[in-house]
Amino acid sequence: MPERRARAGRSRLDGKLDRIREAEEAGLLEHARGSRALRKMLGNRLSLLGLAVFSAIVLSALLAPWICRYDPQKIDLRSVLRPPSAAHLFGTDKLGRDIFSRVLHGGRISILVGLGSALGAAAIGILLGSYGGYKGGPADRAFLRLSEVFMAFPQIILVLLLVSIVGQSVSNLVLIFVATGWGSIYRMTRARMLSIREEEYVQALRAFGLPDLLICYKHMLPNALGPIMVNITLSTAMFILQEAALSFLGLGVPLEIATWGNILNAANDINVLARYWWIWLPVGSVISLFVLSVNFIGDGLRDSADPSQLG
Amino acid sequence: MIAYTLRRFLALAPMMLLMTFLVFLGLELTPGDAVSFIAGPEAMANMDGSQLAALRESLGLDDPFLARYFRWLGGVLRGDFGYSLTSGVPIARIVAERLPATLELSAAALLVSTLLGSALGLASALNRGKALDQALTVAGMIGVSVPEFFFGLVSILVFSIELKWLPVGGRTRPEYLGLWDRLPHLVLPALVLGVSMTAGVMRYARASMLDALGKDFMRTARSKGLPEARVDLVHGFRAALAPIAVLIGFRLPMLIGGSVVIEQIFQWPGVGSEFLAAVRGQNYPLVMTIALLSVLAVLAASFLVDLATAALDPRVKLS
Repeated sequence: MPERRARAGRSRLDGKLDRIREAEEAGLLEHARGSRALRKMLGNRLSLLGLAVFSAIVLSALLAPWICRYDPQKIDLRSVLRPPSAAHLFGTDKLGRDIFSRVLHGGRISILVGLGSALGAAAIGILLGSYGGYKGGPADRAFLRLSEVFMAFPQIILVLLLVSIVGQSVSNLVLIFVATGWGSIYRMTRARMLSIREEEYVQALRAFGLPDLLICYKHMLPNALGPIMVNITLSTAMFILQEAALSFLGLGVPLEIATWGNILNAANDINVLARYWWIWLPVGSVISLFVLSVNFIGDGLRDSADPSQLG
Repeated sequence: MIAYTLRRFLALAPMMLLMTFLVFLGLELTPGDAVSFIAGPEAMANMDGSQLAALRESLGLDDPFLARYFRWLGGVLRGDFGYSLTSGVPIARIVAERLPATLELSAAALLVSTLLGSALGLASALNRGKALDQALTVAGMIGVSVPEFFFGLVSILVFSIELKWLPVGGRTRPEYLGLWDRLPHLVLPALVLGVSMTAGVMRYARASMLDALGKDFMRTARSKGLPEARVDLVHGFRAALAPIAVLIGFRLPMLIGGSVVIEQIFQWPGVGSEFLAAVRGQNYPLVMTIALLSVLAVLAASFLVDLATAALDPRVKLS
């Protein structure tokens, strides 16, 4: 019984470690080079797959004007609602617009909104959070309370409320996402800085009389960045999902501009949903694949940034 | 425990007050005449300019800001939220009419995600590192990556349109009202909302179970010679359950957000679809009121979660 348990308790990881030890004893292992985190991430099959899918989608969106044969906005009433064919890879929509071209061009806006919002939220969150965590003070307490207010709302409710006030446009949407999203990165950065603050090297830098700003942003922040990068990746995925949901509801990016959510908006019509699958199924799958790839990358980053999260 | 409850409440109350203040500020700053918002449409229709001015005076709309805030807050505490700008119906009545449908959907989705999430999390933890665990982890990642509404659309296509097993949308057929008759309408939206929240529960249940599996009492149970299944399921899973119970409370914001989208797709006549209509129509009093109610519900839920955690684990009270 105990032997069986011992064997049953061995995971894939144990086997891997054994193989590494054997290789080491045989003198086959070379000395590792390069960044440990990078090597670790490249060793994770799922995040490599994620990276490949991510790059493929981003590249084709970037190169959309050169890849596509059709203008995404061009209405062609002679070829309306055509199913996928060699001429139109994903078919055409109700106005005869080429859906493949719309998906690629829509990706530019959707990815821009997702990535831009995540970077904007991160910039504010990191800037405020690192200094707040390091120095504290009344401003820090005020920001902390403010972030609590923002985070208490169910995110989509707050986003919709702000949309109803400021109106719909790409830049408004990014601003709203930044306003509702900075809180989590702020709190995370702040928490990391609070623990780093107690380390000896920080005491030493202080004793040398270095300016606070230099200690905070140059010496402490890089040590806090690992989990923050993971957070940025995951919030990119979240914002892309939110843009898609909002535009699907007709409350995100204005309908004239093609985005992934706006293309899916056509599926609000039960007739389209039931009979013209090519209008919404491919673009929905592209969103899912893209978000999945970002999540895989985020997961790989997490493992490489924080070994204690393994398994 | 009483001291702890009081302490948590003293942290909760100012936050709730701050929320009401912010929402009132929003109401004041958004367009829309406060007279029409307070007086109701019937009274508005038969008035000229001087009467309106007198009404403003008598309603206290020329009072200082803080005085107006406290009068509004008093109304909110008595359940008086004013009137919808578009229909003139009292907001309290709109919400009261719509809330049962949303609660029904949320409760069903909570049930689905709790059962499915903890069962899958348990299976994943007991098979740690094996194929099943890895498959479930990847499935969980897919679960958080597919947009809820897209998942909903695909399920409508498959189960309602192609297989014709379930109705496409709505909450009931006109002639039936009992829960049993409504059940076919509830199944699909509840499953879609529930399954889309399952991944989070599963990940949490797995971590919680793995934690319990490493505890000393598990070894004690085994050394007593208890069967493996009993050790895992009775001793381990029960210890893992407490944090999972907490997670149910924290799912409320996801539930509220998710139900907005799901109600739209399935034409479920709940608060979420009313909220969307209000956002589209720039019906600010209704938008603000529903947002206020949702944030108060989330704050109250996290308060209850704190109390439940403290009741389950006495160490929490000391921190």
